Amino acid sequence: MQKNIQTEKQSRSTETPLSPNTSRKAGFFRCFSRCKGWLYLLPAMLFLGFFMVYPLIDVFVYSFEEGYNSASQTYFGTGTYNYSYVLHDPYFLQALKNTFLLVIITVPLSTGIALLISIGLNSIKPLRNFLQTVYFLPYVTNTLAVGLVFMILFKKTAYSDGLVNLLIQWFGGKSVDFISGPYWAKMFVLCLYTIWVVMPFKILILTSALASVNQDYYKAARVDGTSKFRTFMRITLPMISPMIFYLVITGFIGAFKAYSDAVALFGTDLNAAGMNTIVGYVYDMLYGDSGGYPSYASAAAILLFAIVLTITCINLLISRKNVHY
Amino acid sequence: MKETAKSNGLQTEIGNQADYDSIGKKARSRRRVLDAITYVFLALWAVIVLFPFYWMILTSVKSYGAYNSEYIPKFFTLSPTLQNYVDAFTAVPLGRYFLNTIIFTVITTAIMIVVITLAAFAFARLDFKGRNLAFLLFLSLMMIPNELVIITNYVTITNLNMRNTFQGLILPSVTSVFYIYLLKENFEQVPDSMYKAAKVDGTSDMKYLLKVLVPISKPTLITITILKVIECWNSYVWPRLITDDEAYYLVSNGIQEIRENGFGRENIPAMMAAVVVISFPLIVLFLAFHKKIMAGVSRGGIKG
Amino acid sequence: METGNTHISVVYKVLLRALSRIRHLRPRVLALAAMPGIILALTGCHGSRGLDAFAMPQSFDTARQYEITFWAKNDTNKTQTAIYEKAITDFENLYPNVTVNLRLYTDYGKIYNDVITNIATKTTPNVCITYPDHIATYLTGVNQVVPLEELFDNEKYGLGGGEIRYDSPAKAEIIPQYLEECAFGGHYYAIPFMRSTESCYVNKTYVEKLGYQLPDTLTWDFVWKVSEAAMAKNQEGNYLINGQKVLIPFIYKSTDNMMIQQIRQKGTEYSTQEGEILLFSDATKQLLETVAEHAATGAFSTFKISGYPANFLNAGQCIFAVDSTAGATWMGCSAPLIDISADKLVEFETEVLPVPQFDPANPQMISQGPSVCIFNKDDPQEVLASWLFAQYLLTNEVQIAYAQTEGYVPVTSKARQSAEYQDYLAGSGEDNTLHYDVKIKATRLLLENVENTFVTPVFNGSASLRDAAGQLIEETVKSIQRSQTVDDAYYDKLYKDLASRYHLDGLSRPTETYAGEKDKLGPLPGPAVFLLVSLACAWALIVLYVISKKVRKK
Repeated sequence: MQKNIQTEKQSRSTETPLSPNTSRKAGFFRCFSRCKGWLYLLPAMLFLGFFMVYPLIDVFVYSFEEGYNSASQTYFGTGTYNYSYVLHDPYFLQALKNTFLLVIITVPLSTGIALLISIGLNSIKPLRNFLQTVYFLPYVTNTLAVGLVFMILFKKTAYSDGLVNLLIQWFGGKSVDFISGPYWAKMFVLCLYTIWVVMPFKILILTSALASVNQDYYKAARVDGTSKFRTFMRITLPMISPMIFYLVITGFIGAFKAYSDAVALFGTDLNAAGMNTIVGYVYDMLYGDSGGYPSYASAAAILLFAIVLTITCINLLISRKNVHY
Repeated sequence: MKETAKSNGLQTEIGNQADYDSIGKKARSRRRVLDAITYVFLALWAVIVLFPFYWMILTSVKSYGAYNSEYIPKFFTLSPTLQNYVDAFTAVPLGRYFLNTIIFTVITTAIMIVVITLAAFAFARLDFKGRNLAFLLFLSLMMIPNELVIITNYVTITNLNMRNTFQGLILPSVTSVFYIYLLKENFEQVPDSMYKAAKVDGTSDMKYLLKVLVPISKPTLITITILKVIECWNSYVWPRLITDDEAYYLVSNGIQEIRENGFGRENIPAMMAAVVVISFPLIVLFLAFHKKIMAGVSRGGIKG
Repeated sequence: METGNTHISVVYKVLLRALSRIRHLRPRVLALAAMPGIILALTGCHGSRGLDAFAMPQSFDTARQYEITFWAKNDTNKTQTAIYEKAITDFENLYPNVTVNLRLYTDYGKIYNDVITNIATKTTPNVCITYPDHIATYLTGVNQVVPLEELFDNEKYGLGGGEIRYDSPAKAEIIPQYLEECAFGGHYYAIPFMRSTESCYVNKTYVEKLGYQLPDTLTWDFVWKVSEAAMAKNQEGNYLINGQKVLIPFIYKSTDNMMIQQIRQKGTEYSTQEGEILLFSDATKQLLETVAEHAATGAFSTFKISGYPANFLNAGQCIFAVDSTAGATWMGCSAPLIDISADKLVEFETEVLPVPQFDPANPQMISQGPSVCIFNKDDPQEVLASWLFAQYLLTNEVQIAYAQTEGYVPVTSKARQSAEYQDYLAGSGEDNTLHYDVKIKATRLLLENVENTFVTPVFNGSASLRDAAGQLIEETVKSIQRSQTVDDAYYDKLYKDLASRYHLDGLSRPTETYAGEKDKLGPLPGPAVFLLVSLACAWALIVLYVISKKVRKK
């Protein structure tokens, strides 16, 4: 793209000069052509400005109005009390911990498994289309309904231990209550469900990425007699590394926003289950039993935004170092 | 690789032939083992993906009493019934919700395509002051979680008296920076020479966009359309917040209603029936455009 | 080179280049200058002065059209929905200039959430079914809820007023206790709609099979004793009493009521009227210890952990099921509404008794049930129209019809003493739908025990405190089931956890004042410090890295 811009600049500077009248018109056109970009951008900017930027500023303002209460529509004053309140709240810190764990576990795992599956898919000929369709199914369905199914499969009731526990017992282990049991079990189910939900997309991207790698490289490698593993590490991986990093970046962003997955598994009272996420905390604050506090919710949301921004920047910098062409 | 020995011609040749054969056989059997492992692995994941769907369909054909009476969940049912599907359509006006959802989806997607095509074209081709800054700002908007903006949008829409209207449903849901980004990437793929040639011919930018870029990027546009359709079809939080008039409910509201409806308790089988019915059109859509989607995604390279 | 793969790098380059364009200051400066303006504008938008107080108009303007919204709760019971709709139709026939829009909910919590969201946009409903606890929170906004005394006493449009087009009850004809429950802070803010209480549905057959005689009033000791006795199993692991693999002798549906009633029966309250919390005390600890003891043997469980008590009772897997009298429609082997499959039902005799007591001579039971409140609007005529509709819910037609759907009692003596209602009560056992005997027994229980019912203090945040009370029991039972150590230290930690989860620390404020002052917060906890420090370090590193790259390029 650098080249394109440079050549365009050159071509413009080599234009022949025009007579005064036409140059005025040309001047008008040039101005028009420069503003044209903004014109084309205008609809998108209107929508985004109204429905994304304005709320963002609104939330930012709320976060500095201390203790704003929805029912009474009043607040104490302006300052950083909201941030202080949120950072002192043990449930926010719990939500922080849950979200971080979720991100750290699910993003690498899901990308890794998606990579393995894509490689597997690419190496087989029959059934490939069928399997691709099957793997895309979770993307299409309602996450609340599927979460319910997961909950039923994992939950221990008075009558039965649940299907998954039956499987575990069949292999000789002890049954565990995944939905109302120890923290590690609940985290496990949440991570499993999250991975299940994000896989279709990653598999789709990676299979097309793998398919678009130039076959000549592989042929050359085979002529040289390189082992499969080396081919993978030296050719395949670098060629699809932009895609992988992109999935990692967007995976991080998406995992930080996790909420509906947790609700689908554990119900709306996430604090009682100890499985709240940051976004869940924001929602809880908005609808609290004492009237709802958009101020605390906004402070928590801004903190989340800051965290996501930081991690995305770090990711971009790392990807710049590691992405190959 | 085994080096051929210098000594005795025929014997070594036969020996080498035997070596090649055995190497060939080893390679083939290794390949077969690898293939088998691959198949097992893929099949395992397919089972993990399919099982919840199987469970959903299974639950949707179990009768309400049978479902509630199962202490230990059963893998099959001896008396499947379609009553749940009937219930799903009669307990709530699911047909009308379908209609609403179709209207909502079609209009939102149509507006979105227009808006992002223009924006992506602006970022990809037109040179104007502040373009890069604008793009950077757009990019940072990607990081805003939806939950952050939802309450303010609710206040905005209510103050504009657009609750319980299609406008209120559609307008906030139109744009997404991810799609602008994808389309921009795709537009940039088209070589400069085409643009220059069009300029020499005197084509205006708009014509170039409509006559050249759009047809070339059709796979990506189709992909974006389908992804947006899926997103609109499953959207729940925003419609739930701003509609309380049943005439404007979407299918996702309908599912929640079914869940809470009936005499006293959750009617899970009927809810599963509704989910199956609702997911069906999307699956068909994906099947129909499957190849184009794969092409669109790989061409564009990245999708957010 | 595949152009498809360069895009990440391109994006990154674009970002860097954009970041470095600090030279192009003008657009940035303009944007920055605009920010304070936008922020000021927005801060102005936040917060409102509330509404003006309601002033009773002289007369109801019948020439104008009014459209009012009514948010109602039903127990996912279609009969109740039908009653609401009929009430609306009948009312609209009497007052053709008023249209009522019904919105149904199945959960009080959701009504509460939606009202709060709508206060900011001035789109609160006109008439709303609610709980006094929630009204206390609505009241923190200025003049949001209409105080009703003026409306009660108005000659023309008040209770039993002269110009009302239907037969509305007089103030004296509403059960005084129920009316008083809707008064706090010196005003009446709601009218009662239906009342119920909690009762214990007992599998009499099993109790006698275990060799015990059911007393007229249950005591906690009796219930624990019988539950433990029922836990005996035979050699194959089936319970002796019912021959099945599953038995939870004592299941309680609403643990918040369980805690509140126990505390009350012991002679104290769980909070003062002003909102000072007395819940986290040693007396509570003792109650929790008893619960823990019986949860450990599996003799006790709750709805949230195990499921609906009715389902267990009807399948012969429970002996003492405590639920609202409203839930009577599901209790018993011949209940009209059954949630389990018919072949799982077990034959037994159901007895309906008051909840277990510590002192049988002085029974104490909670009084609960929906009340109706009216929200203030700018137009007093609209408020008057809402009041006329709300009052319509107190007429005999609506009261008797609704009370017959489940174990509710009408709140007016007029309805109770009517021939129609008396006939209904007398027909107990005639059939297993309308005159289902368990339901009527539960209704009679409340009718006979009105003086023994009580309500909890109402203040802003009392809903949270109530939830916390219930969670004490839920958490204890959960921890027991997970085999964690439940000792004094555990209870102390539990108190602290719940106090912060429900934000109970700043609760002691009277109603009708601002929602709290700034609480004194201590030093930042460890993880928070860690977060802030890591964010700061990360940004420092990023900036350093970018600068170093630029320097190296040069």
